[in-house]
Amino acid sequence: MKSKIHKNNFKTNSIMNKTLKLLSILVITIAFTSCSSDDDDSQPQLQIEAETVSNLYAPQQGGQGQPVSGEFTKFNFSTGTTTTSDTEWDIAFRGTSIIINGGTSSGTTDEAERTGNGGAYITTGTFASVTEVETGSFLQDSETGHVLSNWYTYAGPPTHEISPTPGKILVIRTHDGKYAKVEILSYYQDVQPNAEYNNYRYYTFNYVYQPNQGETSFE
Amino acid sequence: MRFKSIFIIAVLFPLLCLSQQQVEKTKDTVLTQQLNEVVVTATRTIRQLSSLPLPAQLIARKELKETNRTRLNTILNEQTGLITVQNFIGGEGIQMQGLDSEYTLVLIDGVPLIGRSAGTLDLSRLSIGNIKQIEIVKGASSSLYGSEALGGVINIITEKSNKNGVHGNLMHRYGTFNENETNINLDYKKENVTLGAFVNRSSSDGYNLNNATNINTLDPYFNYTFNTRLNYNVTENTKFLASARYFLQDSDYIPTSTESGESKTREWNAHVKANHKYNEKWSSYFEFYASRYFAEDYLNNIEDNSQFSESFYKELLIRPEIRAAYKVNEKSSFIGGLGLDYETLKRTDFSTTPKFTSPFVYFQYDTNPNENLNILLGARFDGHNEYNSQFSPKAAFRYQITDKLAAKGSMGYGFKAPDFRQLYFDLEGIAGYTILGYNVVNTRVPEMLDSGEIENENDIVVPLSNFNGKLNPENSISYNFGVTHNPISTLKLEVNFFRNDIKDLIDTQLVANKTNGSGVYSYKNVKKAFTQGIEFNSSWRISNSLKIAGGYQFLLAKDKDAIEAFKNGDAFASNPGSGSFKLNEDDYFGLFNRSKHMANFKIFYTNTQHNFNTNLRVNYRSKYGILDTNSNTYLDRYDDFVEAYMLWNCAINKTFKEKYELGIGIDNIFDFTDEPTSNNDFTFINNIPGRIFYAKLNIQF
Repeated sequence: MKSKIHKNNFKTNSIMNKTLKLLSILVITIAFTSCSSDDDDSQPQLQIEAETVSNLYAPQQGGQGQPVSGEFTKFNFSTGTTTTSDTEWDIAFRGTSIIINGGTSSGTTDEAERTGNGGAYITTGTFASVTEVETGSFLQDSETGHVLSNWYTYAGPPTHEISPTPGKILVIRTHDGKYAKVEILSYYQDVQPNAEYNNYRYYTFNYVYQPNQGETSFE
Repeated sequence: MRFKSIFIIAVLFPLLCLSQQQVEKTKDTVLTQQLNEVVVTATRTIRQLSSLPLPAQLIARKELKETNRTRLNTILNEQTGLITVQNFIGGEGIQMQGLDSEYTLVLIDGVPLIGRSAGTLDLSRLSIGNIKQIEIVKGASSSLYGSEALGGVINIITEKSNKNGVHGNLMHRYGTFNENETNINLDYKKENVTLGAFVNRSSSDGYNLNNATNINTLDPYFNYTFNTRLNYNVTENTKFLASARYFLQDSDYIPTSTESGESKTREWNAHVKANHKYNEKWSSYFEFYASRYFAEDYLNNIEDNSQFSESFYKELLIRPEIRAAYKVNEKSSFIGGLGLDYETLKRTDFSTTPKFTSPFVYFQYDTNPNENLNILLGARFDGHNEYNSQFSPKAAFRYQITDKLAAKGSMGYGFKAPDFRQLYFDLEGIAGYTILGYNVVNTRVPEMLDSGEIENENDIVVPLSNFNGKLNPENSISYNFGVTHNPISTLKLEVNFFRNDIKDLIDTQLVANKTNGSGVYSYKNVKKAFTQGIEFNSSWRISNSLKIAGGYQFLLAKDKDAIEAFKNGDAFASNPGSGSFKLNEDDYFGLFNRSKHMANFKIFYTNTQHNFNTNLRVNYRSKYGILDTNSNTYLDRYDDFVEAYMLWNCAINKTFKEKYELGIGIDNIFDFTDEPTSNNDFTFINNIPGRIFYAKLNIQF
């Protein structure tokens, strides 16, 4: 009944992605090598990190018209892991909400306190096409809302599926002023919604982290 | 491949096997038949179908009877370029020239049906047990009919007895899924008075296409249609008509395993018309029409029987209209009309009970400058206080090039008034969002600010001054150009090119962010789209007993903004668990629910010696998109599609002792259904239940 093209493409696309990833790592390595040989006297540059985080769990209480509450699941790009630290975090997840460690609370219950000078913006493109940070585009969370609120599309009934809107790339300034780009791949455990669509609030995302202070390039 | 073979049969076969001898034999019948084929919908005057400058189709009583169709949706689905499409709450509306159900006006004896749930007029509501013919006019016809006649008009003409005395018929059809359909027709005629009564009962046990659940795809229902009419010819020149129709339907409503309820529909129409012919040149019509549509449903939680939801919808239309016709001479005539639509709607989730009053005036000039040329010029003005008033012109021509060849073309403006929802909605959804009609934004948003539902002014993302004006009706300019060719009198070939350029399509927009994290949405005119294509129709009466017909429509239907986005590289797609990639221009498939190719092929055989007739009808629909699986708001080639399918129907009817007709048949012979194949799959085609065996008995008296 349904199109087969869909599935075939899934395969070619994931192969394409892997190839792309390999390529970018190659490019990065070359860039890194050439860079460090040019500036012998400066600090050695740190390597750009490209990783995939799978099934980051971001539960919440409430919702469906009721006040939302519950702890955010915080994430730190420099360690590449979730954290419970009150200060050393960059972005945090609760349900479909994503907050950054910069700005002020939008006013929902249990929102983590911002201690850093993080920022973010959402740009359009493929993950690979975002190669340079636009430093003038950063915004911070505020009373009027979260900067990273428009990352998904809600399907409505009957599935109520939440899917990352294709082509939305999140660019993030970490709490300590470094840059990362993120593409959310799925909101469901093991990237596949179950029949009831209730294995949700599990984030899988790709990110590239530029660990060098002041560096705005992801290549 | 399958489509190609139908096309070849439909087009080439008749041309290849022409035989002059057969032609001679059937010439007279065909000629009489063509003269009998008159329609009133296209010009609001009685016109021969073959002389019209507009693309029009006629489904005759004979076809309705021989195919054993009982509801309007089932017969329309067998016509070229027409398909019924279900909306999300199950209403089965017509798609014509690639335009949605909202954009086709449906009339009974020239007056409109109301009661569109979410824009869709459910055609399965309409019994065709007392129908003389169905007339279909394609292309914008707002110049005569005003709102909704954007894609075209479907007019159902009821049957009126022309024999003196008491006559009638009784019909019962029984089929799979315990489908029962009963018709009683009773007519009385004495000299200048004709009385008619019609009762229909229809019921079904429903069906379930998804074995993984216990939820019915179609819930059990029953409905009744009552129709009475009186024709009184006061004198030869003064005629009077009064008719009333009542429809009642009760249905189970069990959408999930945890809730259960019922839904009810009640509808009535009353129509009074008087016409008088003053002299050879002047005649006039006075018409009064009223219709009420009422629907309600409730849902209870199965566990504790507490109420889950309840909704109702109550619409009223009253229309007085006068019309005059003036015949200048044998070659030219004018008609003009003047009227008023008064409409109200009460329903759940509305801020007020809106009342619309819209006066209208129209005229039409029909002329034949010479014996080969017919020109039609018309225009209509619809005034309105709640949205922008509309002026709808139309021009059409037909030119007889040779005896066998004619060309026709038309161009017209069509519009669809914003519906009550788009103006007056005040709905808070279960997920916390709010939808406001365009006309209530300026009062409700400040209220929401005061109550704290919207925290402060900064949360309003669209200036409220945008809502000071009026919403524009969705509108289009439609173009039709066609050629009809009768190589021999028994063979008719028609081709029509069409294009509808639609603008001001109404879409939702985010107006403000709510304190609860959700949004306030309203409506605006934004989208532009087009539908265009070619329609081909052929019919060949090989002999008095054998007729074959074939039709095909090629359709392109696209959103102009989407085309732009794909061109500019702003469209992306992704698959679960992998990153986004850019879409190319040719990845855009078009609007949802449109098939590029639709075709039909029919054979009718009548045996007068043994009093039986039989037929086989095949309908094909190519693949179409239904869900934006990858959430980029566009239908692209990586989304889910419903694959092409074909439906085969056949029927055989035999008459005994002149009065009794027994019929049997199979709908959907090869038992096609769209059953889900996996957990994450859905039933997309809910209105095709699988194979139906049926039998019917008709008694004439």
